[in-house]
Amino acid sequence: MNGTEIRKGNRGRGERLWSWLFLLPTILFLGFTALLPLLYSLYLSLFQYKINLPNAVPKFIGIGNYLRMLQDKNLGVSVGNTVLFAVVSVSLELVLGLLAAMMLCGTKRIYRIFTSLLLIPMIMAPVAIGTLFRMMLDGSTGIINYLLHFVGVPQMNWLSNPKTAMPAVIFVNVWQLIPWVCIITMAGLKSLPQDALEAARVDGAKNRHIFFQIVLPMISPLLIIVLMLRFVDAFKVFDTIYTMTNGGPGNATEMLPNYIYKQGLKFFDAGYTAALAMAFVFSMTIVSFLFLRWRKAVEERVL
Amino acid sequence: MMAKKHRIDANDSMVHEILGNVWGSPFRIVFTAVLMLLVLFPLYWLFSSAFKIRAEYLANPPLLIPHVFTMENIKTVLSMNGLGRQFMNSMIVSLSSTAISLLFGSMAAYSLVRGKFSNLTRQIFGLWFMIQKMYPAIATAIPIYLVMRKLQLIDTLPALIIMNTSFNLPLVIWLMMGFFAQVPIEMEESARIDGCHFLSRFFYVVFPVTKSGIVAAGILAFVGAWNEFLFAVILSINKSKTLPVVIAGFITDKGLDWGPMAATSLISLLPVLVLVYLCQKQFVEGLAMGAVKG
Repeated sequence: MNGTEIRKGNRGRGERLWSWLFLLPTILFLGFTALLPLLYSLYLSLFQYKINLPNAVPKFIGIGNYLRMLQDKNLGVSVGNTVLFAVVSVSLELVLGLLAAMMLCGTKRIYRIFTSLLLIPMIMAPVAIGTLFRMMLDGSTGIINYLLHFVGVPQMNWLSNPKTAMPAVIFVNVWQLIPWVCIITMAGLKSLPQDALEAARVDGAKNRHIFFQIVLPMISPLLIIVLMLRFVDAFKVFDTIYTMTNGGPGNATEMLPNYIYKQGLKFFDAGYTAALAMAFVFSMTIVSFLFLRWRKAVEERVL
Repeated sequence: MMAKKHRIDANDSMVHEILGNVWGSPFRIVFTAVLMLLVLFPLYWLFSSAFKIRAEYLANPPLLIPHVFTMENIKTVLSMNGLGRQFMNSMIVSLSSTAISLLFGSMAAYSLVRGKFSNLTRQIFGLWFMIQKMYPAIATAIPIYLVMRKLQLIDTLPALIIMNTSFNLPLVIWLMMGFFAQVPIEMEESARIDGCHFLSRFFYVVFPVTKSGIVAAGILAFVGAWNEFLFAVILSINKSKTLPVVIAGFITDKGLDWGPMAATSLISLLPVLVLVYLCQKQFVEGLAMGAVKG
């Protein structure tokens, strides 16, 4: 072995050491604040444990908490609500957000100003959005009732009527997230290869044709990602629900995160909360996995 | 450089010409007008309510344009017990967690992109950090609450800094991996041959050329921490309350105080608004990158 090779070997070992050292703070940090708590949740989910009693001792009950979930009618209602909320609001956001991106994707100054204004709902605190719309949807002093009466809609208490509460929280979610979908899909539209579009135009294809036959297939992998991120995120909706209805009236807008929150921090039922959380994480992982496979299939078809 | 810019513009106007007119220009005008009205009206309402007197923000029917302009609500909330403190709490938590997650996150990202690992190791950590980005925060609420209670960190700022850093780390790693991957490997190779080792390559060679990536990740992290509510409400009682907790508090405590509530929301919106408009390009780039890679 000559000198340069030894030095090289040493350097390789040094590089490896440094690589691990760079990763170490993150491993420790996420390990202690995310991975271990998740495992602790898994462990707690096997116990009956009321954390509001000062000297409560966890009692092992095996899969008792998981069996309880199967009989929990309120849980069934929140799952149904969450799925309905996620499917309806995400579909609306995707269609309207993509439309918005198409309409605002221009070089004219006015479109750039509009696009910047769209950023505001995206950076506003979701609790502030919730309280703002609670004010606007108020039955007596709310501006939305006032504006709607001009077009003949009867006055109502949007958030305390079980029939209108769900559409109202969906509307607010759509308002909050159209901008996000718009910004992301616009970035996708702007990075489309010009030659393909140019060629289609030279061949005399109509705009509508170009959109449906060329543009839509090309951005479909991106749309699936947007769909996935939004869908997973819609399941985690908490802040706006907490401030607008807190799940009410009754359980008309009760969603999973809010339900889990109540079990844990209102009823202090740590074991059951942990079991709910584990089931939630598990289903979210499955959903994301299915979306990723779907994207892969679409990408293979497109490319 | 000029040629590149020209091509992007041409591409832009091309896409705009086709996509904006798929359903004809009347549709475009109507859609854009309705969209902008729907987006802007609630913001106008927030703004105007913050400057209305009590009789006017509680008026029935509501007043579209206030007759009296008042600073009363702003003054009330600013003198209200502790809003200055709560503003500082938000600032300290957001700045600290952004700084820590930027440092640790970009180190981890650099190591995953350019470090010496086997492919398997790379994939395992990549997968872990991605799952971390997806899973619901509520899942760890109870264990975190119990541990923080045991460590006597409930109602302290370190508890919130730790949790926000934990939420931001995966995001920063994800974004920075994308930015580091764009740095030409030759640049690092030549630095390495010149005897510049891993640590100094990171700080002197790679860091400076990924500045805009750092800014993008930093803004997203800051906005996320600034608006974080779930853990802020679980882990604070009084002393460590942040602005979102105060805003939500208006609902439960004082039903109809719309004016002060709107004023507080406005005050909390201002810092992120200034930040995002100062670095709008990086913010949008970061958003797009996070999604496309995700």
